[in-house]
Formats: sequence, structure tokens, C-alpha cells
Amino acid sequence: MQDNLKDILANLNTEIDQETLLLYLQDKLPASQKHDVERKLSASEFEHDALEGLQQFDDKKKIAHLVEMLNRDLKKKVARKTRRREKLRLKDQPWLIFAVVIFLLLIVLCYMIIHRMIQAQ
Amino acid sequence: MKAEQYNRMTDQQLLENYQSSHDNEWLGILLERYTLLLLGVCMKYLKNEEEARDSVQQIFLKVIQELQKYRVEYFKSWLYMVAKNHCLMKIRDRQGKVPAELTERVMAAPDEETDWQALLQNDRVLDLMDESLNELSPEQKQCVTLFYLEKKSYQEISEETGFSMLQVKSYIQNGKRNLKLMIEKKLKQT
Repeated sequence: MQDNLKDILANLNTEIDQETLLLYLQDKLPASQKHDVERKLSASEFEHDALEGLQQFDDKKKIAHLVEMLNRDLKKKVARKTRRREKLRLKDQPWLIFAVVIFLLLIVLCYMIIHRMIQAQ
Repeated sequence: MKAEQYNRMTDQQLLENYQSSHDNEWLGILLERYTLLLLGVCMKYLKNEEEARDSVQQIFLKVIQELQKYRVEYFKSWLYMVAKNHCLMKIRDRQGKVPAELTERVMAAPDEETDWQALLQNDRVLDLMDESLNELSPEQKQCVTLFYLEKKSYQEISEETGFSMLQVKSYIQNGKRNLKLMIEKKLKQT
């Protein structure tokens, strides 16, 4: 009894995985697990608000699909930002700029030598 | 294998990895954990599936940008605050103003943290809790008892009491909050 009383105010671990939450929303969990999920959800304001919102979806099966789409979009965003940053990072490397300048100078030098040789003939 | 390895990492570890490497991939892994919760929060406030989905995408972008500029210590609570503020702004854009009751709810500062974990080791607090439970309204007392002490689900409580699921949740939440307030008040008096 006393241990159960502690549950009311204890800051319990509210971590709940998305799959379990989706099963809960689709009413696919046994009663014992349902209570466990609800206890965790009621301990955190974030989870509590989220549950209230998710229950407003007309078709609960659609939620998993939506989450998948959002995650796919997130991966693209993250990859795009990473690529852009890598490109920018190239600019920060002075040895690369130096190598490009040397390479261009060599081309100009070669052109001038070949040009003079042609003129000399 | 890699996914399993990431699953075992805490939010704090992922955030630290991002902060030290500035590799957005860590942020992607971290945010993915909260997609469902963000979708729920946006749906709760915006009450529109399409708007909720778009808002989650916008929140992702905002988080990626903000974390490049600022250092965040408690990611989960910060993310929740970002999501709530985003929804508030959306409602403001839509209606020109935000209903007062929503502003109060969204902008309300989080409860002052009491170290309940430590307090609960004290037998006196448990006695106070027992006493305070009897001072709750009959509905709150019934729902809190069935939920926390008899470990019944919302649905079972709803069937047993005849209250709707929404009422059950509300009685439990309010009952819990009132219990905290009563105990804090009694502890201050002693």
C-alpha cells in the first residue's frame, strides 16, 4: 500500500517507446500493460499532452505512417545540412586553396611555354 | 547494429556528441525519438492533422537552427517548450490573438521542483498523503485510488465509475496536483 502511495508523487521514469505508444493508441495492449503506459504518460506533461493530441486523430493507424514520413523528411533535412557544411568546410582548408592556385599557375606557365615555343618555330 | 547502438544512448549522450562534432546526424537520431510526441502535442493545440504535420517539420528545422546557436542542457523539456510556443504562435497567426486560457496553460511556468523522491522516504509524508487523499473530492479520490493503488487502466476506471475517459484522466491529473499542493502546504505548516 505504502509503495503504491509513493507512485502517485514519485518522479518515475517516463520513457516510453514509440512502438508501445502506437500499440496503446490502437488499443492493442493488454490491460496490465495499458495501466503501465498510462502511469508513465501521466507522470510527464509532454507525454500527457501528446497522448491527448494523438487520440484526436480519426484514424489511429495513419499515425504510424505520418511518423514514418516525418522521420524520412527529417533524415533528408539532416543529410542536406551535413552536405552543405562539408562543402563549407572545404573552404576553410588553406592547403586546398594553395594547391588550386599552384595548379592554375602551372597551367598558365605551361600555356606560356607552349605559346613561346610555337612563336619561336 | 548501428541502430541498436544508438538506441542504448541517452538523449544527453546524443546531444553531447552533436555539440562536440556538430554533426547533424546525431540531432536526427535524437529528434526521431520525439516525432510521435511532437505530432501529438501539435495536434492537441492545433486540432488539424495537416497543420500538426507541417508544424512538426517546422519545429525540426527550428531545433536544428537553434542548437547551432545555443547550448541546451535538458533537451526534452526544452523541446516541449519549443513545440508549445510554436503552436501558440500558429494559433495567434490564425486567430489574431490567443485565447487567454490557452496562453495561461501554454506559458505557465513549470511547477517548482520539489524533490519528491527524497521526501517520499519520509514516513511522515506518506501519512500526510494518506490523510490528503481523503480530503480530495470524491471523484478525484476514487479515480486516483483506482489508478495508482489498484493499478487499473483508464478504460477499466471509466467502465467501473461511469465517468468518460476524459473525465477519468482529468480527475487523476487534478487529483495528483491537488495532493502535491496539500502535502506541500502541510509540510510548510509543520
